[in-house]
Amino acid sequence: MGLWMSIGRPSINDRFKISLLPFSALILGIFILMLFVYFTNSIQILQREGIGLYTTNQWVASEDPEREYYGVFAALYGSVYTSVLAVLISLPLSICFAVFVIDYAPARLKEWLIIATDIMAGLPTIIYGIWGAFILVPFMKEYVMYPLYRHLSFIPLFSFEPLSGYSYLSAGILLGIMVTPFASSIIREAYRMIPFSYREAVFSLGATRYEATKILMGYIKPAIIAGVILAFGRAIGETVAVSLVVGNTFNIHPSLFAPGYTISSLIANQFGNAFIYKYMVSALFAAGLSLFLIGLAVNLMGIYILRRGRHA
Amino acid sequence: MNRKLLLVGLLLVIILLSGCTQPESLQSSGSATQPKETKSSTKETILIGSGATFPQPQIEKWIDEYSKTNPNIKIEYIGKGSGGGQNDFKQNLVDFACSDPPLKESLWNELKKDGQPLQFPIIVGAVVVAYNIPGVENLKLDGSTLADIFLGDIEYWDDSRIKELNPDAKLPHEKIIVVHRSDSSGTTDIFTTYLSLVGDEWREKIGSGKTVEWVVDRLGRGVGGKGNPGVVVAIKNNPHTIGYTELAYAYKENLKMVAIQNKAGNYVTASPETIKNAVSKISVNIPPPYEGYKENMATLLNADGEKSYPIVAFSHMVIWQKYDDKSREEEIKKFVKWILTEGQKDSSLVSGYVGLPEDVSNKILEETGLWG
Repeated sequence: MGLWMSIGRPSINDRFKISLLPFSALILGIFILMLFVYFTNSIQILQREGIGLYTTNQWVASEDPEREYYGVFAALYGSVYTSVLAVLISLPLSICFAVFVIDYAPARLKEWLIIATDIMAGLPTIIYGIWGAFILVPFMKEYVMYPLYRHLSFIPLFSFEPLSGYSYLSAGILLGIMVTPFASSIIREAYRMIPFSYREAVFSLGATRYEATKILMGYIKPAIIAGVILAFGRAIGETVAVSLVVGNTFNIHPSLFAPGYTISSLIANQFGNAFIYKYMVSALFAAGLSLFLIGLAVNLMGIYILRRGRHA
Repeated sequence: MNRKLLLVGLLLVIILLSGCTQPESLQSSGSATQPKETKSSTKETILIGSGATFPQPQIEKWIDEYSKTNPNIKIEYIGKGSGGGQNDFKQNLVDFACSDPPLKESLWNELKKDGQPLQFPIIVGAVVVAYNIPGVENLKLDGSTLADIFLGDIEYWDDSRIKELNPDAKLPHEKIIVVHRSDSSGTTDIFTTYLSLVGDEWREKIGSGKTVEWVVDRLGRGVGGKGNPGVVVAIKNNPHTIGYTELAYAYKENLKMVAIQNKAGNYVTASPETIKNAVSKISVNIPPPYEGYKENMATLLNADGEKSYPIVAFSHMVIWQKYDDKSREEEIKKFVKWILTEGQKDSSLVSGYVGLPEDVSNKILEETGLWG
């Protein structure tokens, strides 16, 4: 209201406000338009297969449209599996890193450490992918997966013979490394911003450094959750690097060592020739839509956790 | 001050919006009216093509060589997959498209509403079966054994059926890991068509296509690699793997190739010689360019002849017979003619690609009416 009433004689402040309006509208507009495009393109396949698209594991591409059938459950499963692994790996890494950089690192080293993580965050993902395929996968296979498989294969997590090394675990670790800079920079900045008086207060109570850090971590919980959400979002959306290490097979298995697929790498793999088939483009859009929904769900969960924390 | 701010803001919005409209120069389509640039005094023509990634290195070399003698022409090729190229061509976004598999009849008929399309092979490729078993050279396999390996029926390298064909090789008792393409690809189409020809069980259970269902994946012995590079990396890095890839990639990475039994019963590996032998035998099955959709991949595989390599395939180019812009038509036909004559000489070929035998390229030139 205030905005429109003051248009007659806008002050400098209001004109500035108005000049910002197109930009915020543009961003919202782009987002809504994208969602709209994904919805309209998915309708075709959803009408044909219904929810079966997300609950079955079958990928039958045929030039005869009658025989075409797409079920992306394996990729959906793989996406969530690898992203959760990535978050589990990156969270402790990034918290420890943030605490070390802010509390312990000498001033000079601190700067270099921050620069290093910023570079890590900006590296093209294909670089991680190639490193993953040539170094990480053979290493993991030889020194981690096979020993665990030989001795502990009665545990379902280790029950799959890691023949090639391409697996959920390889993808999860690679993703964990890739998203750590993002999560850690959010946590680091929040940790740095904690008012000094709070720290003083905690130490004056006689807390050890460990206890103080633990208490202060509770104080920046929203930032940690934001870091987790960002890390999860980046992990689930990663395409090139993952498709180099995950194995790209339509497979559903509880074991960490089994090869699988993710939605993003599925889209990257199949989009080039999807136009040849009648329904595949639509199926890939619908698969992309599911990432939207997962992202939405994770964000809502984050908001919920924060709210609950506030009320408690 | 505040006005300036507003002005800057508005300018930015205008710039952003102008980015949304398609600049005319991008629509270098055959049938759409051409922008003025072709008639401008510089006379530089830009031809744009897109499509299969397999012939890309070769096409880039051709473009490079061709531009040396024709400086007023600029050709760009975007490798995005055969399907993408076909789609671009249909939507008139490009002047020519390249596709590994021949166009389908339904697409062909749709295209015919806009004009007569011409499709013809420009280069020959071969799909090779590469393997990685330390200490085993010159592995020999026949068609049905190959099909059963890719089906997952043969589990270990020292299976009696493999041993029988390779009595002298020291085959390890290790599980076979099958590497295949994870993206949909013409290479998979060619290879699975071949397996369908030689393996009864494969034909009934799996069939052929750009992506097929890999049963070995469910057994945990399958790995998907994205693109030829992805497959090659997986084979190189993992002992006891077997997979299929384009000849050029196998050459580049020095992979060991399986000698496959051909129709005549001989074991042959892919080489320019064995590939050309096969192409000469099957050239009668290449349909005339104005009926390109009639090409049947199955008739090009498993060729007769003592020294014919059984899995050869063409990469095709698709152009229009007539373009609205005559000078553009002229340039395209000049380029195509150059490809089919000068371009097929050894000095213009990239290693791993095989030129068309001369009788085949002459036949195409005759039929497209590009001769003379």
